[in-house]
Amino acid sequence: MVTTIDEPRIRPEWLLGGAVTLLGAIIIVVVTMVLGSGEEEPVVVPADATELTAGTCAEDLRQPHWVPDDVRRAVVECPDEISAGMGRTTAEDHLGTWITYVLEGPENEETFRGGPGPAWPEDEVRSGAYHPASAVIYVAYPGAQELSGKLAGDNVTIEWQDLKESGSEARVTRVDNNGFGPVRVEWTDDAGSYLLLSTVGRTPTANAGPSVAELIRIADSVAADDE
Amino acid sequence: MPTTRTWLQAGGGTVVVALIVAAVVQAANSSATWVSNDPVGQCGKTSGGQVVAAQNVLSAATGLEPVDGNWDAESEVATRAFQAYNGLPVDGCVDTSTWVTMRALAISLCDPDYSCQGPDHRIRYAAADGARDAYLAENDCDWGSYVLPGVARSPVASNKIIALSRDAVTEIECGG
Repeated sequence: MVTTIDEPRIRPEWLLGGAVTLLGAIIIVVVTMVLGSGEEEPVVVPADATELTAGTCAEDLRQPHWVPDDVRRAVVECPDEISAGMGRTTAEDHLGTWITYVLEGPENEETFRGGPGPAWPEDEVRSGAYHPASAVIYVAYPGAQELSGKLAGDNVTIEWQDLKESGSEARVTRVDNNGFGPVRVEWTDDAGSYLLLSTVGRTPTANAGPSVAELIRIADSVAADDE
Repeated sequence: MPTTRTWLQAGGGTVVVALIVAAVVQAANSSATWVSNDPVGQCGKTSGGQVVAAQNVLSAATGLEPVDGNWDAESEVATRAFQAYNGLPVDGCVDTSTWVTMRALAISLCDPDYSCQGPDHRIRYAAADGARDAYLAENDCDWGSYVLPGVARSPVASNKIIALSRDAVTEIECGG
């Protein structure tokens, strides 16, 4: 008796169907990736500004817990990096730690294209169309108890403002050029001396940089560290 | 008749008072030398240490290069852009108001309790490729300019402190 066992056969139509299915899947994946690459990353505003400095030397520093929504990233500079960056050794024990909060948005972006020169139209320069990026610089000097020397000048105003959260006062120095110009907010607490600096900038369409009220709020949020 | 001890006490007191007066005068001069500079630009000085100081700030604020202590068309355009953004009258002249605005941007590198000497202040602007910095020396150096390599051009040497003077570009030594 002869038993015939049919060997399994792969039918050509199965092969064709499988190949078409695989090709279709690959096309879908590639098209999805190509389309996805053009989309904006979802904007994630951190719940606490200290998240922006996580994993850096500023992680344990007394620092702002609130920053304006336009801030999405922060650049931290440690004392050793500052010393190295200036190409000259200085007393690292006494150097502050810097956090630069960069503001997003069209009015806050740098508009320079190449260096300043005749290629920059006079009327556009005059309107404030050529301007740097807006940022808020925060510097903490742990252990210090003094503020920087007072600035003087006809266009300088100095006033003390309450920091309600911390119960202390901050010295607000403005170079008030018709509502624009640099703003310095400085204060001390039991752990050190602090400075916030930014510029209320004039652009053709809107003010650049934070408002003075926002700078005060940033300063006041540093005290939230104690809660 | 005063005793020797009395003379020594009087002499010591005089020395202490003299040192305090010298420190106050030095501090006053240090502040004054920045905010009461000569006008720089076509309205005033077109070369020298004060031009270096203005160009140094403008290099951070606008990307102006080089810093060479010689005022030129690029320096003037940079000044106009700086003035416009800061709400100043746009005339390309680094006058007192513009000097004061520039000075307000300088942040102490060392804590305010401590005199770290040398280049101890910095002006920083965020930029697409990181940041643009200009360094200044306040303590004992009357706001001398400290220009970074790549930005400085002869006769301005990089990583040297250039006096904020109305005279020619002059390097000065500071403690630290």
